[in-house]
Amino acid sequence: MAGKRKNTDVYTPKFTLKEAKKQWVLLVIGAAFTIYGLIFYYAPLVGWIMAFQNYKPKKGFLHSSFVGLEKFKFLFSDDAFIKVIRNTLAMGVLNLVTTFIMAILFAILLNEIKSNLIKKPIQTISYLPHFLSWIIVTGILHDALSSSGIINEILMNLKLIDTPINFFANTAYFWPIVAFANCWKETGWNAIIYLAAITAIDPCLYEAASIDGAGRFSKIWFITLPSIKPTIMILLLMNIGNVLNAGFEVQYLLGNGLIKSVSDTIDIYVLTWGVGNMDYSLGTAAGIFKSVVSIVLIFGANALAKRAGEERLF
Amino acid sequence: MKLKKITALFLSLGMTVSMLAGCGGGAAAPTGGSDTAAVEEDTGAKEDTVEEESDEAASNGEITEFTMFAAMPEAEINDDNEIQQIIAEKTGVKVKETWLTGQTDAEAIGTFIAGGDLPDYINGGDSMMALYDADVLVPWDDYLDKYPNLKEMYSDEEWESFRQEDGHIYWANVFQNTYGESKATTHNDEAFWIQAKVLEWAGYPKIETLDDYFKVLEDYAEENPTLEDGTEVIPYTALCEDWRYFCIENAPEFLDGYPNDGSVIVDVENMKIVDYNTTATAKMYFNKLNEEYAKGIIDPEFATQTYDEYIAKLSTGRVLGMCDQWWDFAYTVNDVFKTTGLDLEGCNYVPLGLVAEAGMEQQWHTYGDTLNNSSGVAITTNCEDVDKAFQFLNDVLDQEIHDLRFWGVEGVDYLIDDDGMYYRTEEMRAKWADTEYQASHECKYSYLPQWLGTSRDGKNAMQPTEQTSEFFDSLAEPLVKCFEAYDVKTYPEMIGSVEKELGPWFPMYSFSNAMTTETPGGVAWTKIGETKHEWLPKVVMAANFESEWESYMEAYNACNPQDFLDEMQEELDRRAGN
Repeated sequence: MAGKRKNTDVYTPKFTLKEAKKQWVLLVIGAAFTIYGLIFYYAPLVGWIMAFQNYKPKKGFLHSSFVGLEKFKFLFSDDAFIKVIRNTLAMGVLNLVTTFIMAILFAILLNEIKSNLIKKPIQTISYLPHFLSWIIVTGILHDALSSSGIINEILMNLKLIDTPINFFANTAYFWPIVAFANCWKETGWNAIIYLAAITAIDPCLYEAASIDGAGRFSKIWFITLPSIKPTIMILLLMNIGNVLNAGFEVQYLLGNGLIKSVSDTIDIYVLTWGVGNMDYSLGTAAGIFKSVVSIVLIFGANALAKRAGEERLF
Repeated sequence: MKLKKITALFLSLGMTVSMLAGCGGGAAAPTGGSDTAAVEEDTGAKEDTVEEESDEAASNGEITEFTMFAAMPEAEINDDNEIQQIIAEKTGVKVKETWLTGQTDAEAIGTFIAGGDLPDYINGGDSMMALYDADVLVPWDDYLDKYPNLKEMYSDEEWESFRQEDGHIYWANVFQNTYGESKATTHNDEAFWIQAKVLEWAGYPKIETLDDYFKVLEDYAEENPTLEDGTEVIPYTALCEDWRYFCIENAPEFLDGYPNDGSVIVDVENMKIVDYNTTATAKMYFNKLNEEYAKGIIDPEFATQTYDEYIAKLSTGRVLGMCDQWWDFAYTVNDVFKTTGLDLEGCNYVPLGLVAEAGMEQQWHTYGDTLNNSSGVAITTNCEDVDKAFQFLNDVLDQEIHDLRFWGVEGVDYLIDDDGMYYRTEEMRAKWADTEYQASHECKYSYLPQWLGTSRDGKNAMQPTEQTSEFFDSLAEPLVKCFEAYDVKTYPEMIGSVEKELGPWFPMYSFSNAMTTETPGGVAWTKIGETKHEWLPKVVMAANFESEWESYMEAYNACNPQDFLDEMQEELDRRAGN
């Protein structure tokens, strides 16, 4: 993959009628997807108009009154909204870093196991949590971290603490708990794509390295990692665009009134104010803000990657 | 290598735990071997009744299925529920009820509106105004006169109060409606509750203030730190979850002797709205909680527990006391106590009418009906057969159907003595309290219109919980002893509230519940709620109460509470002026 990409810089596609005739099937498929995209991704954007109205379901788009940027003004003068931006960013970045690093680490470690008898079961077991819904994962966490839960019991037996820690009452623990939960659930799943990339590496490289006297760690460092670098870069870029989707379910299900100030994310804010209080306009405004920031992030990251001469999305 | 092994071990451990957790849920429901026999017997009885009454079936055997959503978390009943089937055969209508799961009522209703996939009936809790705003409800005006049972629920004046701005009635509250003479024996309101065994241990003292109350809890817990099986007792807990945070939040209004206006105090002498969040009593109350928390008397998990965890805790009998509404815990917890025999050990909760200073009058108990016109059952525009839907609302109030809903099947769930009084045997009571039986046999349609008070036969109570004989017969021994010691007969007498005429404005919460973020007051109300959810537990857990209280007040004032209070005052003036 890495080798081939180099050539794209040389090749400049030209659109000719002849070429179009030859590839008509591809064009039809392309058109179908474009229409799909227009209907399902772009048409709903009409709803963004709500953010500039005082939208009432009774009146609809056509008869709701326009209020300009008032909803945005409300958002940015609300301390709670500033806090949820901070929380979303913090948890997003924390999740990104931990799941990202863990997945790569896990894939490399797993690759070092030569026996398929051990490797396959581990791989399967490790990605199973991905299929658990958050409600189950948070249920397990809630039990495990409760004051009579297994974690507190272990800590008590190890004499590390005297009284059980109430993990969900302390604002300091919440972000790490969320990051840990994400890590536990997604590491195995995310590692699959790296494992696939590793499989594609030419074994000759390892053999040559062995002959040159490279040990395990040298091989990982000088062959495995550089070979999967393009994959890593692409996934990193895509994940950066997703940073603001730091989650809704985990925070919603694990949070409580006491630690609201660190647990509420933009999505929860939208739910409370937009859906819960029927202020759909405010909810839409917050949603727009989120989309715009995400677009800025992904373009920014892409531009940086471009400048650094790395693999990039577009 | 080591890391991988540990990771793998941990992952597999996690999987196992999750599987076990899944199994645990199912097994938790109490099972009784005698159930099967009972159900068989009961099916026989059912067939008899149906044959007798088959001519009454509404339309020629065809059963219309309606759907219903109620913004309350409750257990769904089985699809082949027996009484539901009997009611369906008699009325030609079966209603599939779904309940709130996890989200708040506002969120659930908001999702319904945004998605447009509405059920036929909807009971939206505090979010009825949202449904009205979305224009998805059927106006009742043209139908009401055709259905006498339904019409009978409220007086003309009361029906008027359900009228919305556009001049139509869209819903009717289903609760707190007394037919004929009141039979109230329970305190279906808020109180500081205490286990009967704690009172017995303390020698049934007079408990008037928070200091008295916590003193008893502390002393008892010191001498009896664990239950018989070694579980540690929790002297006091306070639920803070979502809308149920009234358990920690609104005690100051009662402590000052005011009735449950919910969101504010109404100072009747000056006809002024008073904010109970900032009163001296509020500060005293939270200061007391703070002290008790520091002493370890209050459950360290009070702020983070969910409602389910809270109910589970109460059900084990380890919680000695808490502040709560009767309906929020008693139906579930008392049934569990009955099944597990904890009621005989004195775990049942007795209400105490605490006040800020000894000797004050209090109004924890609301005598008479409270009309909360901001909530109720409605029919949505998605309903295809509106006439039939109204017919069913009318039918469920029919005495025969009403008895089926709340008393069950005659001969199976209750018996009738020579005087025509309904009663249950101990076995019937135990069965009625069993969760499995509730799912397979009972169908209360608990969020459809219903009556309290006296049955149309003039003798029995509309609901068994209010049947005097039932009440006394089902009262566990420790409760009887407790009531005797305080020389009272019922829960309302136990709490001993004064009976005062409540003004036409009561309850003010029917207004604040219907507020939307359209107005500055509504925005303030939402922000106040968010702030209190965060700060009240913080204040209770603070190492330095004074400074934390000050920070709380600062955060509180940043919500512009005056906007909210002004709108409440306006509404009070409007209601009082009528």
